Amino acid sequence: MTTVIQFLIDVLSLGGAYALMALGLVIVYGILRLVNFAYGELIMIAGYVLYLMSGSGLPWLVMAFMGVLAAIATGIATDYIAFRPVRAKSVTAVLITSFAFSTLLQNAALLLVSPRPRPIPLPDLFSTTVEFLGVVTPARNLITILAAFILLSLFLFVMRYTIIGLAMRAAATNFRMARMLGVPANLVISSAFAISGLLAGVASLLWLGRIGSVVPGVGLEPLLIAFIATVLGGMRSLEGAVLGGFLLAFIDTGLNYLLPQDLLKFRDAFTFSFVILVLLWRPQGLIKGPASGDRT
Amino acid sequence: MNMSYFLRRHWLTLAFLTGCVVLLAGGASLIGDRLMERVTINLCINIVLVMGLQVFMGNSGILSFAHIGFMGVGAYSAALFTIPSQMKNMALPELYPVLAGLSLDPLLAILVGGLIAAVIAALVSYPLMRLSDAAAVITSFALLVVLHTVMLHWSEVTNGPRTLFGLPKYTGLLLAASAAVLAIWVGMIFKESRIGLLLRASRSDEIAAAAIGSNIPQMRWMAFILGAFLAGIGGGLWGHFITSFAPKAFFLKETFVILGMLIIGGPRTVSGAVMGTLIVTGTFEGLRTVENGLNRAELFSGQVIGLTEIVLALAMIAVLILRPGGLFPAREIGTLITLRAKGKRMNSSV
Amino acid sequence: MLEVIDLEVRYGSIAAVKGIRFSVAPGALATLLGANGAGKSSTLLAIAGALPVAKGKILFDGVDVTGKKPEQMVQAGLAMVPETRDVFPDLTVDENLRLGAYTRLRDKSGVASDRERLFALFPRLQERKEQAAGTLSGGEQQMLVIARAMMARPKVLLLDEPSLGLAPVVVDQLFAMIAELKALGTTILLVEQNATKALQVADSAFVLRQGKIATEGRASDIAARQDLNALYLGGGM
Repeated sequence: MTTVIQFLIDVLSLGGAYALMALGLVIVYGILRLVNFAYGELIMIAGYVLYLMSGSGLPWLVMAFMGVLAAIATGIATDYIAFRPVRAKSVTAVLITSFAFSTLLQNAALLLVSPRPRPIPLPDLFSTTVEFLGVVTPARNLITILAAFILLSLFLFVMRYTIIGLAMRAAATNFRMARMLGVPANLVISSAFAISGLLAGVASLLWLGRIGSVVPGVGLEPLLIAFIATVLGGMRSLEGAVLGGFLLAFIDTGLNYLLPQDLLKFRDAFTFSFVILVLLWRPQGLIKGPASGDRT
Repeated sequence: MNMSYFLRRHWLTLAFLTGCVVLLAGGASLIGDRLMERVTINLCINIVLVMGLQVFMGNSGILSFAHIGFMGVGAYSAALFTIPSQMKNMALPELYPVLAGLSLDPLLAILVGGLIAAVIAALVSYPLMRLSDAAAVITSFALLVVLHTVMLHWSEVTNGPRTLFGLPKYTGLLLAASAAVLAIWVGMIFKESRIGLLLRASRSDEIAAAAIGSNIPQMRWMAFILGAFLAGIGGGLWGHFITSFAPKAFFLKETFVILGMLIIGGPRTVSGAVMGTLIVTGTFEGLRTVENGLNRAELFSGQVIGLTEIVLALAMIAVLILRPGGLFPAREIGTLITLRAKGKRMNSSV
Repeated sequence: MLEVIDLEVRYGSIAAVKGIRFSVAPGALATLLGANGAGKSSTLLAIAGALPVAKGKILFDGVDVTGKKPEQMVQAGLAMVPETRDVFPDLTVDENLRLGAYTRLRDKSGVASDRERLFALFPRLQERKEQAAGTLSGGEQQMLVIARAMMARPKVLLLDEPSLGLAPVVVDQLFAMIAELKALGTTILLVEQNATKALQVADSAFVLRQGKIATEGRASDIAARQDLNALYLGGGM
């Protein structure tokens, strides 16, 4: 019984972080058809802001808030630098600019900070363990579950009940028609990038809280996770992204419990081969998203 | 294809691009400067790699991230045949005994490396060629990750994440330059072949191209295999130039550099691929000198690294905004020269 | 109210609209007629800001609005219902209508009363307001896109082929609706294949042929002409 609870906590906490990462990628992809390769760098930026403020003596929550804010700002910057100028051109051009922007940010971190890992400040709570339903587990796992739950609910509320949420859902199916109802294209696009940044920023706190430090390449793994979860969940469905995140966490945790050590190192090769197979079978992803449209 | 028509139409482009490579290689060997020789060899290998990417991307219009993975396949495969057997104990302690006795002349080994890359590409990529847009990009990215993970963990063959060493230094100026020229010719011939023409037609109108009876996924597949072959050759050449490497050499950073060269030059033309490689390699070497200078002068507390990538990233974004087709968006350099000459003549006759 | 001066619209090198000029008076209903490919939809899309104007000018309420974005045109008071009948299929009927009022975020009470008025006009929509718009029938979807456009309280409404693909009974209802919208004071520019129906509700008509205006006049005069078909096709039939 305790193993089951342990497993559940592991899946839910990992899945919560994965779901946030996937959602942040899909919100941009769903509306703009942009696979944002610079997404992982939003997570990196939040980490470096935390690191840079570590000596400031500010309360941790303030630092965390600044980190998330930096991720949001970088998300919006992605729009202005890598997306908006080439939006009307080819899909390939947009992909390449976002890839270039990703490299740009990573190398800026290399140049300005260091190629070596830098510790990030974390509250003591993150390193304590608690007993929960008879299971001893790191407190950060429970924090992750709670934070993911709150943020996902907030996201759901915004998308369902606010006019900007409606506008974004509408733009995801038919951007042109949304504009013909007076929804400003640029506002929708910037909002999508800002929300993407918010999700990445919070995911960063939860993710880097596990690792404890930040390096320039730290964004790659979250990006890959978000890719897989997105493909699993249906490339354009928001609910699917969340589901995909939890599903991937379930698979990963399950493999961790089951696979022998010498096969475990090939886990990424297995999951990515699986991604390729899923896309071949269903190019739209496992769960069907809303009807497609264009992005101009 | 009618070879004489091809030559008549494209002799100037081929002559110009071949001339560039020959001049650089000849110059480097005459001057005899070690650094310049290194840079030129690197440049020639880059031309082979960029041409490999151009063959697929330029003709099909689909972005592929997997390319550098096949460069790795070529490099590791060739190495299996050229690391001297007495070295293999140290370089590949976990190697399967069956493979321990393999040995080939390096030139043959590099060719075999290219073939193995092509075969693997042929096996894994066929079903992928139906996909387009985001699905195509993510699958090619996933393929790169799969290839990378395998290189990283298949210690028996690759020595795992550790550096593989013991390759003989074989790639010299003459070999690298010859390979670059061959790659240029192959790319040009493919571009003007029936398959190349149909593929390029399919970018603007997939339905029309399918209507005239062309099987687009199959043609993309052929371009992909040829591209992987060139990438594999490039990998083998590079491996036998640098003589030791680790899997991280064949991942996103290298992908970014090779893609940057192609994008800046212009993916649709062979001239673009070659000139992009020349410009970016030249700029990189210049910047690296600056970086090294800064590091030696110790103006900054830490090491100055990453500057070259930042400049390349900015240049790529700028090119995509200001000149989306690259420096040579549609016409080959020979055509441009001919047109300009004609224009002058017309002007002077008026 | 709406004035189009020497408008040209191009798709690449092909001109779809080759310099047309017409105007619609406030509160009037004008109709653009013509065969497929005559340039009717292109004209509407260009007026709505959804297609670039190659040449010419568009005046709205006396103000030059050439080259404005679609969202700016809605803000200015011009709404368009495109031929593609684009409901947002995953959103409910009510959510579709809420988006229609996007430009009137501050006017909460006005929006609420307009919504009631439109529900009175389109009772079927009220019955289905919680349903996903994608589940409506073709006719209901057409009602929804018109109602949604009206939620912006536009001064001018552009309708592109509203009767396309609808059953004859529904078409009758639709034209009754259009007449009511006109009676409420909305200026309407209507593109229709169903010329007979369109000419019954319109004040004035313009017949487009190959991107140019072939004939124009009062709707009743055009309707009375025997050679309407010939006018469409340009032949001497």
